[in-house]
Amino acid sequence: MSTSARGRGELEREVLAAVAAAPAPVSANDVLRDLDGELAYTTVMTTLARLESKGVLTRQLDGRAYRYALAGDPAEVDASLAAHRMRKVLESRPDRAGVLARFVADLSDEDEQILLALLAPETELRAPASEAGSS
Amino acid sequence: MTLWLVPVLVSVALGLVAGPLERRLPPATAARLLTVSALVSALATGLVLGVAGFIALSQVPFVAAAGQWSRAALQHGRTTQLLGAFAGIMVIALLGRAVHRAVEALRHLWAAEATCRRLGPDANGLVVTDDSVPDAYAVQGLQGRIVVSRAMLSGLTAEERRVLLAHEASHLRHRHHVYLQLTQLAAAANPALRQVTEAVHAAVERWADEDAAAEVGDRPLAARALARASLLRHHSPTAPARPRPASALAAVTSGVVSRTQALLRPAPRPRHLLVLSTTALVLCAAVAAGLTAHVTEDQFEVARHVLHHTS
Repeated sequence: MSTSARGRGELEREVLAAVAAAPAPVSANDVLRDLDGELAYTTVMTTLARLESKGVLTRQLDGRAYRYALAGDPAEVDASLAAHRMRKVLESRPDRAGVLARFVADLSDEDEQILLALLAPETELRAPASEAGSS
Repeated sequence: MTLWLVPVLVSVALGLVAGPLERRLPPATAARLLTVSALVSALATGLVLGVAGFIALSQVPFVAAAGQWSRAALQHGRTTQLLGAFAGIMVIALLGRAVHRAVEALRHLWAAEATCRRLGPDANGLVVTDDSVPDAYAVQGLQGRIVVSRAMLSGLTAEERRVLLAHEASHLRHRHHVYLQLTQLAAAANPALRQVTEAVHAAVERWADEDAAAEVGDRPLAARALARASLLRHHSPTAPARPRPASALAAVTSGVVSRTQALLRPAPRPRHLLVLSTTALVLCAAVAAGLTAHVTEDQFEVARHVLHHTS
């Protein structure tokens, strides 16, 4: 039931994702509120500082606290381009699955309807229990 | 002589049961079992075809002279010879395909490595791009990176982002690309195994889904994250409309839907009987290939003796 403790790697990724998801620069407190749960303020603060020293985030002093944002320097733009190009190259090949694993595939309209139905809070989250059960 | 048909039949059977196995077994088990099965079947098939081809070749006077064996002692029916010659040509063509596939796989790994190096600073493998298309993927090389666009991150809640990151991290941690590349290699050497590749692809996605669900300890949450991420991508104005596959394979058209539904069911239980019967099936192919090689070796041994005693 309880969620497993996050490793340091997971924590760094989640904190970076939280900063990147925010529309404006955020403080350690904002991140803490967004991530909720059992994290300590100091943990979040240290993680943010570490990400800043790695060059992934930039920070600016705002009053008495730092506000963090995604590093938008030329290197990052280059990274976006590289990622984009990688996608293009690999998508053009039928066997791209070899090194590129996408979280979600493109949907058809029927797929969309099914997913919306699955997401709807009123309907019970239920899937056809076709292959479950039989040994 | 029917012995050498066994690996071929096993490969065809494996292609047929790969999909159903993937849907019933725990995904990690399915991925491992299917990858090893595909490799063994491909090797066994290659071996028997190679042996059949070699027997046909042994009938060529020049080759027989060089090998010092009696052609008469190895003489088979006309049809067997023709089949053997056909098998020989097949095995050369398939070997060529496999080599080509292996080179392609290495090239892709190289491209992935180069991209990873260019991706710049990362947070334990995570790189965020300032892309307006909601997207998330793992570039799997020797080190690997998780690449997620800001548009995707800002559309999800913190818990949903955690699912997404855990999913991609699972791909990198368990080196899922190796399973895919090995089955692609097996399928290149033996086209009967093509469906195994699709099943392994589905299995590694499900494997990462199950890992993510375990990490957050909440299956409905994992299902919701997957569904919401798909819808985000679908609704982005720049997302490409999915082309309808020409040969509409219903099974592969709704990967996300079946993955979401699987997460809404309880985690699949281990099915030892299924694993054992698949292993037995594949062992049949390996044993048949081994026997074929052994019997043929004996035949050549006899053919050598015959030559030496008649000349």
